[in-house]
Order: sequence, then C-alpha cells, then structure tokens
Amino acid sequence: MNKTKRLLIVLLVLAVAFGFLFPSIEWYYLTPKEDQTLALGSRETIRDQATRLARVELAALNEYVSAKPDDVLPGTFAALVDRAKVAYKDLGMKRPDAWTADAVLAAYDGDADVLKELEDIQRQEIMKTKNLHGNAVQLGLDLSGGMSVVIRADLDALAEKLGHSLSLSEREEAMERAMDVLNGRIDKFGLTEPVIRRQGEDHIYIEIPGAADPDRINSIIMGRGRLAFHIVDIDATNLLLQYLASNPAGINADLTLADPSVLPEGLVVRRLYKKDAYGLDEWTGDYVVITEAPGLDGNYIESADSSSDQITGQPQVIFTLTAEGGELFYQLTSANIGKPMAVVLDDKVRSVATIRDAIQTNGSISGFSYDEAENLKVILRSAALPVELVVESQQSIGASLGDDTIRQGANAMIIALAAVFIFMLIYYKGAGINAMVAQVLNLYLMLSILSAFNLTLTLPTIAGFVLTLGMAVDANVIIFERVKEELALGKGRRAAVEAGFAKAFWAVMDGNITTIIAALFLAQLGTGPIQGFAVSLAIGNMSSLFTSLFVSRLIFDYGTDLGKKETMSISWRIK
Amino acid sequence: MKRLIKFHKAFLPATLVSVALLAFSVLGLFVKGFNLGVDFQAGINQYVRLAYPTGTVTYSGPGTPRLEINDDTAAVVFTGTESSDRTASWDLATVGTLADLAAAMKAEGVDVSLSDGAGYSAELLLPTFQGDYILSAQPTMIHRMPRGADERLGSVEEIRQALTGLGNVTVQAVGAEGSGEFIVRVRDDGTDKNFSAKVPEQITLALDGVFGAGRTVAVKTDYVGPRFSQSLAQNVVWLTLLTLGGILLYAGIRFKFQFATGAVLAVVHDGLIMAGFMIWTGMEFGTTSIAAILTILGYSINDTIVIFDRIREDHKLSPTDSMTTIIDRSISETLGRTVITTVTTLLAVLALFLFTTGSIKDFALALIVGIISGTYSTIFIASGFVAWWDKMRVSRHAKLNAGTEVQAH
Repeated sequence: MNKTKRLLIVLLVLAVAFGFLFPSIEWYYLTPKEDQTLALGSRETIRDQATRLARVELAALNEYVSAKPDDVLPGTFAALVDRAKVAYKDLGMKRPDAWTADAVLAAYDGDADVLKELEDIQRQEIMKTKNLHGNAVQLGLDLSGGMSVVIRADLDALAEKLGHSLSLSEREEAMERAMDVLNGRIDKFGLTEPVIRRQGEDHIYIEIPGAADPDRINSIIMGRGRLAFHIVDIDATNLLLQYLASNPAGINADLTLADPSVLPEGLVVRRLYKKDAYGLDEWTGDYVVITEAPGLDGNYIESADSSSDQITGQPQVIFTLTAEGGELFYQLTSANIGKPMAVVLDDKVRSVATIRDAIQTNGSISGFSYDEAENLKVILRSAALPVELVVESQQSIGASLGDDTIRQGANAMIIALAAVFIFMLIYYKGAGINAMVAQVLNLYLMLSILSAFNLTLTLPTIAGFVLTLGMAVDANVIIFERVKEELALGKGRRAAVEAGFAKAFWAVMDGNITTIIAALFLAQLGTGPIQGFAVSLAIGNMSSLFTSLFVSRLIFDYGTDLGKKETMSISWRIK
Repeated sequence: MKRLIKFHKAFLPATLVSVALLAFSVLGLFVKGFNLGVDFQAGINQYVRLAYPTGTVTYSGPGTPRLEINDDTAAVVFTGTESSDRTASWDLATVGTLADLAAAMKAEGVDVSLSDGAGYSAELLLPTFQGDYILSAQPTMIHRMPRGADERLGSVEEIRQALTGLGNVTVQAVGAEGSGEFIVRVRDDGTDKNFSAKVPEQITLALDGVFGAGRTVAVKTDYVGPRFSQSLAQNVVWLTLLTLGGILLYAGIRFKFQFATGAVLAVVHDGLIMAGFMIWTGMEFGTTSIAAILTILGYSINDTIVIFDRIREDHKLSPTDSMTTIIDRSISETLGRTVITTVTTLLAVLALFLFTTGSIKDFALALIVGIISGTYSTIFIASGFVAWWDKMRVSRHAKLNAGTEVQAH
C-alpha cells in the first residue's frame, strides 16, 4: 500500500472517531446546565414541562390574536409557523401572504389542537437534547454521583407463603411484578431518569444518577404498592378541564390546584398512565378526578387472570375477591352503576372502566387491547401475590465527590502523558515524538470508541487509560529497539524501518493478544469498576496496535521520503 | 553486537529468593489473612462527615430549582418555571462571607436564613454530598466545615465509643487532618433483613446524639449483602482460573508447551507476591485488588511473551547453540525494551498513585509492586523454567541414548 492510501485510511479513522466523539463534546461543553437538567429528567417530567410551556405559549398566542391580529408573528413562534406551513400544505390550503396569528391558527381545529402541536414542538426540542446525551460518553456513578442498588426478589419467602415451590412461569411472573412495582415507584422521583435492569434470575439492578440519598431507596423498595379501586367523578373531571383551559399553569407538580376551590371536598386529581413501548409508565396527558377515599382496597383481591370475552372475543381481565371484599364491592358497585371506576396503583391511575352492574366476588374489566389487559392483570395480581424485595448491595456517591474524582483522574492522565512523553523524548530523541503522536492518537481513539459504544466512563476506566498509556508505549519501544538493532547492523533508514517493523510485528501482536485475553476475562466479572477498567484496557490495547504498527510506520515513511532523510534520530549512540 | 549478560547464572538464586517470598506470602495468609473489603465481607461502609449546620434554604416561587454546592461553586438550576430556565452560580472563593452568599442568593429569589457562621468565608460551605437539594417551601439544611482547630469535631475513638451498640464496628479517619471525615464499617451477619436500611440511620442518630443534632452528614454509602459477597468470591476464583487457562492455551498454540507453562508459572508468582503484599500491608482486599492482580497477569504475560518471541527467533537463527546461551542472548537483546517499558508503565502508574485517593490509590500501589515483580519474574522465573526444562530434556535424552547404545552392543 502506498503512503497516500495509508494516510487516507488514517485520516478516515480520525474523522470517524471525531464523529463518534462530537455528541460528547456538544453535551458536556456546549449545552447549558438547565437544558441538561431538563433533558436528564424522567419522561414524566419532560412531558410535564412540555405541557406547561405549551400552555404558556398558547396564552401568548391568543393574546396576539386579540391584540394584533394582522401583525406577522415574531421569531419566538418560528417553530409553530413552520409546522403551520406543513399543515397548510397537507390540507391543500392556499398559503397566506403573511404569517399572522390568525393565519397560523387557521391551520388548526381550535385551541386543543394548537396546544397539542405546541406541546409536541417543546417535547421534540427536549428529546433532541436527551438523545444527544444518549450518544455522549456516559459518566459512571462515581463521577456523576448517584445511587446504585441491587435488589433481590425474595422468591423463597413467596413460595413459603403459597405453601408450594414456585414453577418456572410463577417465578417469571413474580419477577415481572417486582419490576413493575419498582418501575412505577422510581419514576416518582422524577428528577433523573433511572436505570432498572433485571440481573440474573432474581436480581434487579437500579441506578439513579445524581441523587444519592439512601432514604429514597428505602421508600422505593419498602411496601408492596398500594392498589385500590376509586370511583371517578366525571362532572368534577370536566370542571378541572375547563379550569385548566383558562388557567394553563394552574396545576402544581404534586397535582394540587393553584385554586383549590375549583373541586369539591373529598376529591383528588390523579394522572392516567399507560405503558409505553419500553414497558415504562407513561402519562397519557389526561387527568382523572377521583374520590380521595378508596372504594375498595386491593388487599381483598384473591386472584386475577386475563382472557377473551366468550361472546365478543374482546380481551378482558377477570378478578376474584375474598368473601369479605365481595360484600364491600357489592355495596360500592351497586351504588355507582353507570359511573367509571379507576384502578389506582401508588397514586397512578392505571385503568378506568365503567361499572355495568353490581359485582360481588367475581368481576371482569374489558374495553382495551391485549397488552393493556396483560398489564392490568399483572397489577391486580401484584396486590394478590406480593413479592418481598431485599437490598443485596447498595452504593451512593454524592455528586460533588464525583467532581473531585474527575479532577483526580484528569490530573493523573495529563501527568502520566507528560512524564512518558519527556522520558521517550530523552531516550529516543526524534523518534520519541513519533511515539507520542501515536499515544495522543491512541487516547483520542480510546475516548471515541468509548463514546461510540455508549460505554460508561468511571474512575477505574480512567485508571485503565492511564495504565494503557504506559503499556501501549511498549509497542513503540519494541519496534524502536528493533529498528535500532537494524541500524546498528549498518542498514540505512528505509531498510532499518522496514526490517524493524517486520520483525517486531509478531512480538507486538502476541503480547497484545495475551493482554486482551486477560482483559476480556476481566470484563466478564460483571460488576462495574472491574468491568470498566477491563474494557478500557482492551480498547487501549487494540487501538494501540493500530497507532503503533500503522500510524508510527507511516510517520517514519513520510520522514524518509518527503524529508529525504537518510539517518534516524532514535538513539544517542547511533547517528 | 550487544554485551551478553549471563542471566542463567542467577536463575537458581532467584528461584530461592522467590520461593522464600512466596512462602512468606502464604504464611501471611494463615497468620494474618486478607483485610477483606466490603465486597467480600457482607456489611456497610458509611462515609460520614461531621460538620456544623449553618442555616436553611427555602424557595417559594414557581418551578423546581436545584441547589448544587461543590468545592468551589454554588449553583441553583431553575427548571420547570413558566419563564425560561436558567442557572445562577456563585464562585465560593470570590463571593465573600456566607452572609454575602445568602444576600446574592436572595436576589435570585432563594431565601437563605443563616443560624451560624454568617461572618465566615463562603468557602467553608459543605458540598452537597447527598445529591443536589431540591428547593421548596420546606427548609433544606446546609452545612459548613469546621473553621479551625478549636472547632474540630470528633475523633476515631469518640466515634467508636458512640457506635459500640451497633455490633462489629470499625472506624477509620480519612481526608485531611481535622476535616471530620470518617469511614464507619459495620458488619452484616445476615440476621436482619432490613440491615441496609436501618444501619445508616442508626449511625447518624448515634453520632448526632454525641456531637450535636444535625452535625452528621452522610457522604457515601456502600452496602453488600451476604449472598452477594459470596457469589462474588466464587466468580473471582473461576475468573482467575479461566484467565490463566486462556493464556496457557494461546501461549501453548503460539509457542511450545514448556514456554506456556513457564509463562503461567511466572504470572502465578506475580499474583502471589501481590497478594502477599496486600496481606502484610493490611491493604483492603476488594474488587479493585482483584482487578490489580488480573491486570498484572496481563502485563507480566506481555513482558514474558516478548522475550519468548526473541528466544524462538534466536533458536531458529542458530539452532546449534545451547538453550542457556540462547536465553542469555535473547534476554540481553531485549533488556533495553524490558527496562524502558517498565519505566514508562511505572511513570504512568506513579501518576495514578500520586494524584488519586482511596481505592484507586491502593490499586496503583498494588500495580507498582506487580510491575516490578512482573519484570523480575519474566526474566528469572519464566525464562529460568524454560532453561531448566531444556536441561532436564537434554539429560533425559542423554540417558536414553546411553540405553540404546548398550542394546546395540
């Protein structure tokens, strides 16, 4: 391969690496803190914020309509104007001469439609930042601060309670329920998006970046989820919607109203949730006003299952109550026939169904998709078959401690780089510069690989990089020593470089492959710190193969041909 | 041509030294044992900091601002407000006294009521260890560090006294002298299911009782339950064996069997030396220690393979030379590389050792020991084994030859 081709390959690799690295640069250096905070929020907070901003914008827009209907809308509404243009085109309407408030609103059917569009614009904006974060290098808990917990579902205790050992499907279901309960509760913290992952057979791993208050963990795993049936007040729900239409920001984050007199006593506002594609709770955007006191507690549920209605074939959930619960439920349902009833888990409305007739111990709920029926079944069962959760391991690290750690890691890295650089320069003279170019590129490639694979940067990862810096120079050293030997035999620059690289090739490969073997096994140990370290060691070894065997060689060859050099600056003894 | 050093002469004494060191390591295992960290011994590591409550922060405007204090800045990030989101931050070194900071925060709509130390420098403000504070009408307490020697809070002995009721407790002072930072370790014997939830609370309660209400700030909590530590220990054993197996296999394919064995022997030697070092220095043995040992496995093997590569090459170039001559020559030829690589790696690890704290510092120290041992074992143990094997083979061969000669007669 000729030099130009090789140079192109190197440049291509560097360019691709930059592409991987760019989201990290943009997120950590170019995104303001408040935008970061917002984007890191849970889906619920994002939705909440988008709705809030959209309501404010709608109010501003309506003001324009009444005050200056003929003026062109200012730049703050540019996004909406763009959407309106698309809407005009889709509807086949003639484009207006000027984009006034009236003209824009003409593209939509009333306020609710505009509000939806505005909300979507806001949400897209926040999601864009969120995606950026997803593509950037992630900071581990030791650098960003936060909590991680490993929780075990106590299946043995459940088996004891049921009086028989659990079958495979029962175990799976129990785990599903445990995950569901955790998912539902953790979202309530709302500030940062948590990670909830199943680990092995009966473990669940939870990570909450940013927050490090161990008390919160206890509130997450304690208790079994409060499930209850509440009667929905349709009139009050309508009142609430009217109120929100005129007071867009009239509802607080804790679902109390700015003007509490809107709703009669004894009623509370709750949000209606659905599962999103990832199985996470997602607020549908709807509010439901329910009685504050539960109509029936979930503890009375004995069993629940999903099936198809024999006549209509529609999916339905069948549940059975205890005898005592049946009595209570009969009183409740017979008094409220025709009204909707809500299934509420931990203050979240999971399902709303109209009461057709009085129910005693056996009831069924229908009118939704199969997936929703499955979800509701799981929720009802969790009340019937509780799984106890036990903390297996827990770590919480304050965010400011993380800042310290980053500083330590960065210092160690810079000093290590400088020390190795100075040493190589003294020992190998000109060739030392070559080695350092290779090392700096190596560091750059390591970071971009980390970014490309969405790996997490932790202090052990940084330690791995620092160590790799020292060890990766080894490949250069092996090669340089070989080249020196060839020069000592009286070969010229070109021949010495060629022979030196050829002879050193397998020594470098063997050494690195064995190290990579060790690193890969290390990565299998699973838990955070070691894994991070091992992955960085493996990445460093691989990219150092590229920089030492390929890039260094190219630099020498350019020196030989373009610099018209016959000699080499590689040692104090050999001239 | 480079000068030839007769390394083979040192093989026997080196082996004796190594055997003595290894015996010393194993002795330590029985006499002293590992200082098992929280990873391997169920329990809780609670990092606490004793500090003075200096006041409360409240906020009653719209949105949910978060207060974030670190070593040199305090910042309030406003989000969820109807107007645009923003961040207000103050440099603790230049803002002046705590009262000045309170006034500056007031201007942003955040109320700070100071109860203590208003005239002290804002730099004494304690960072928000437990994550950012979410400000609301509910008062949030902020702390400041002790100002001088007379304000210093607590000693290891006092804390141990205060916590005797919790069972098996160890206390260790960390950080700068008088900074009031301590690690409290309480062992979990597995009898209480709610151990992880209860103990941090009990620690705070007990310390507050002795040093004054609100003076205990939890910085970091690590908890590992009994089952978890057990499965980790099993994993580690398997992992080490698999790693060694993997290396043996690769080296066995690329080189001859005796080379692979020599390399693995050298690596096991390094691991044991490091373990001995950790035992005798009382360094905490946790997952990071395992990582250090496994790293040295990789490093040492790399070192060894480079020399073996040269031995194989030299053997091909002059097949008639005796193995000891070839080994001496190969080690001499690669000595420059061995030394330089050791120096550069040591430089990097030294930087790590000097600029980090806590478990990574220990990690770096263990690596320094491992690197030195790894370089030594590469030359004397791995190559020594190959030389010894060859000598055995030659003498066995000679005996066999002698036997056939007898029969021929």
